[in-house]
Amino acid sequence: MAAVAAIPASKAPVGAGAALPGPPLPVVHEPGVPFLEIESLRAKEFIPAAKEALTSLVAEQGQSKLIRPVFNWAGRNSLFPLHWGLACCAIEFAAAFGARWDAERFGVVPRSSPRQCDLLIVNGTVTWKVAHKLITLYEQMPEPKWVIAMGNCATGGGPFRTAYSVVPGVDKLVPVDVYIAGCPPRPEAMLDGILRLEQLIRERKE
Amino acid sequence: MQPDDLANALRPKLGPRLRAVEPFEGTAGRVRFDRTAALDLFRAVRDDLGFGHLSMVAGIDWVDRREVVYVVWSDAARQYAILSTDLPADDAHVESASPVWPSANWHEREAWEMVDIGFDHHPDIRHLLMPDGYAFHPLLRSFKLHEPEELEVKARHV
Repeated sequence: MAAVAAIPASKAPVGAGAALPGPPLPVVHEPGVPFLEIESLRAKEFIPAAKEALTSLVAEQGQSKLIRPVFNWAGRNSLFPLHWGLACCAIEFAAAFGARWDAERFGVVPRSSPRQCDLLIVNGTVTWKVAHKLITLYEQMPEPKWVIAMGNCATGGGPFRTAYSVVPGVDKLVPVDVYIAGCPPRPEAMLDGILRLEQLIRERKE
Repeated sequence: MQPDDLANALRPKLGPRLRAVEPFEGTAGRVRFDRTAALDLFRAVRDDLGFGHLSMVAGIDWVDRREVVYVVWSDAARQYAILSTDLPADDAHVESASPVWPSANWHEREAWEMVDIGFDHHPDIRHLLMPDGYAFHPLLRSFKLHEPEELEVKARHV
């Protein structure tokens, strides 16, 4: 609302009671015109106008202070992990979504397409053979995205660390936010990792 | 079927290229052959002796030599037989069994990948278990378990 007051009087938007012909409609490209009548905009003008409005709002309220908490709140309460099982940790991963632990309490719903996910839970031994598939899946996920390394194998190779076929830790391939220890971790540990990730997202600034 | 039966059937076709036929517990016998006789032996074993199914191809690294072991099964005789050939370590290659038993395809790919045994005229020699471009033959005795970081640098082709 404060942004509206910044508009010069001559360029004030047409109010509900204003009669036509009133003052001319403001032009989007003109600087310093943050808010406009949405109905008066053409489709191609909407996004620049919205961007302008948002920018002025942010400039007034400080960087991201206004909207970032809202985004973080929404993001951390609807983490969608990729439904991708690699090894025995995937059994615990599956159990965490069963009736006993019910990870959906935290808004965690596994999705089958990386395009719909923002969380990659690497649950199992990553071999060099599957490494580039993992990178592809990670790159297909839209931003913002997070990675949890679940279990000892994903964290550091586990008992297969020196094996010829095993990636010694998935952080060699993708950036990892939360590591969960255990071989395999119990579902409680996985939920604890998700809650820690939610804490990270709560404190996220950028 | 006894080892003598195998020897009597194969000796006329292969001659001295048939090195030995030994008894091997639970099978019709173990045939040791020279690698130049590979395709002739495979055809004779399949067509004349009726071993229609190739159950396994294995490669062994004995450091001074390498060995390829074929395990074949006969439905009629309900018996296994073992065929094996020794290869020099510095020139380990043998004719592919894929034209005779198509199931040899993947087994030979694995034997090539793991212990570096070449299979001549193989229809599709590619990595099976390792990613393409993997630089090692990891089940060779000369392969050292690497430090993870060292292996990462060498093996990373992703």
